[in-house]
Amino acid sequence: MPVVTRRFIDHAWRRGCDFINLDLEDSVPPHLKAHARGLIKGAIPIVRKGGAEAFTRINHDYVHADLEAIVWPGLSKVNYPKAESADEIRLLDAVITRLERERGIRPGTIEIGANIETAKGVAAAYEIASASPRVREFGGGSGYDMSRDLGVEMFVGFEQFAYGKGELELVARALGLQVRAAPFVANTTGSVSDADRAFREAEAARKCGFGLGGGLNPAVVEPQNRGFTPTAEDVEDARWVLERYRELTGTPDTWKVIDGRVIDGYEAARARDTLEWAALCAERDREKAAAVLRTRTAMAEPTSPASGVTRGDA
Amino acid sequence: MAVLVRRSNLLVPITDTERVNRAWRNDADAVTLDLEDGVVQTRKAEARGLVKETIALTAKGGAEVFVRVNAALLHADLDASVWPGLRGIVLPRVESAADVAEAIEQTTALERRRGLDVGALELIVLLETARAVWDIRSIITASPRITQVGLDESDLAGDLGITPLPEHDPFVYARGRLVVEATAARVQPIGITYPLGVHPRRLPAAEIHRMATDARNLGMKGVLCADPSWVVPVNDAFTPSADLVAHHKRVREVFASAVAAGTAAVPLDGRMIDVPVDEWAKVVLAMAEACDARDAQKRAAQGGS
Repeated sequence: MPVVTRRFIDHAWRRGCDFINLDLEDSVPPHLKAHARGLIKGAIPIVRKGGAEAFTRINHDYVHADLEAIVWPGLSKVNYPKAESADEIRLLDAVITRLERERGIRPGTIEIGANIETAKGVAAAYEIASASPRVREFGGGSGYDMSRDLGVEMFVGFEQFAYGKGELELVARALGLQVRAAPFVANTTGSVSDADRAFREAEAARKCGFGLGGGLNPAVVEPQNRGFTPTAEDVEDARWVLERYRELTGTPDTWKVIDGRVIDGYEAARARDTLEWAALCAERDREKAAAVLRTRTAMAEPTSPASGVTRGDA
Repeated sequence: MAVLVRRSNLLVPITDTERVNRAWRNDADAVTLDLEDGVVQTRKAEARGLVKETIALTAKGGAEVFVRVNAALLHADLDASVWPGLRGIVLPRVESAADVAEAIEQTTALERRRGLDVGALELIVLLETARAVWDIRSIITASPRITQVGLDESDLAGDLGITPLPEHDPFVYARGRLVVEATAARVQPIGITYPLGVHPRRLPAAEIHRMATDARNLGMKGVLCADPSWVVPVNDAFTPSADLVAHHKRVREVFASAVAAGTAAVPLDGRMIDVPVDEWAKVVLAMAEACDARDAQKRAAQGGS
């Protein structure tokens, strides 16, 4: 969200986000860049009040000024747009390393999000992703900037970015990074607030083994969280698979078929992944709920059903 | 920076006199006189002899003129083709930067000998093997003469040893790699969507238009047209429509008011307009102007003939 829009900053903590990305880049007009920079330090604790991590997206062309203004305790990640070379990432790493030291932040705390938004970025993906240990998740390869670089209209209803997305996913997996990716779900409206679509997209992403989302409108936060979180049935099914798999121990068989379903080491591993991811989601929800409770108590504000925090209590 | 508008490049076998004579009326942005796959082996020498006199005739309608040479007959074909009036060479079966260098060395010598500016001729390279698709980066960055690059999908299918079925596109990766690497190198990727690239044929104009539009939305900048009937729908598909121009003008207005009001992120019809959306609107409007200018040039040439 644009850091210059005060009401967005003030209310974002109530939305139930896992992270909030304070933008200095494309949503901030050029004449407000300097002003915007000055707002980050104050905005970080405000957006964290609901347990969200605070990120900042800087400008590709103002790395030094932006980093000086944003690297403060409480910041989790610097998103760097239009990353095109490993040198850019090494420069960011060096500046962040110095600022962490100067400002009493534990070394290595702040992540770098290397956003791949151009063909050149895709072409240099491996070098970029391996340029710093601060790059812990990697992906992208679609979106407004990529469309502009390739010279394509968006929202045409078919997958335009298969190659770039595939390259970035392979790079992320080869380097053992978390994958930020989304399978293709047709979108011909370009709506940024379509909750149904956000849910379907997140659910499809989860089923492909991806766990990172993001959006431009508060209406998509809850459906996205829901789509990325395994359902109760998924969890129950995973437990059932593991039970059946355990029953094989001590028998001569390594696999069996129950009701047409194969139960084997592979299915057991998938079930374990589901349970692990469900536990991580639940833990994150508890953290956020606790943060919201602390904030409301401090504000002596009664909890209301309109709070927007919809999952933490589940 | 000037926008290269080469939406349609009509491929005409140079030995097909009737098609050659008609080609300037087809309204193509470029015409490629084919010495390669469109000419039977026994007529290669005769074909070569036709190039020099055909260039001016082909350019009459304002089209740029290219010649597609045979990789195996490179020297003889270039020798027959590099004459004033030629815009460039379509170089098929390129597998390495060395192939590009070889063609350029001879082209440069011929430019010098025949009074063309050295470096005047462009190269359009065609990739036809797995090796070429894999090494695309070193190939297309081998020379600034390379302005466009495409796949020859039927030869690529042969190299891969596959018989493509119309319902399963086997070139998603190759085409994606072409678009990304070419865009990164600032070379225009060209091509049409599957299966027309691998099985070129006549189709209703609306079908060609749809497939060319999809190609544009994959990042292609033009199409090597196998048939004259493709040219008009291809030109149209690669020209921003009046609706699109109107939409992008509106984007620019809405964005400008938002910036004046202190934000660079503003909703429009459920979408979100910010810097890259405004930047893209500029690109589309510039493209529309460049297409208009190119069409005016061609009209002037056609009217004056």
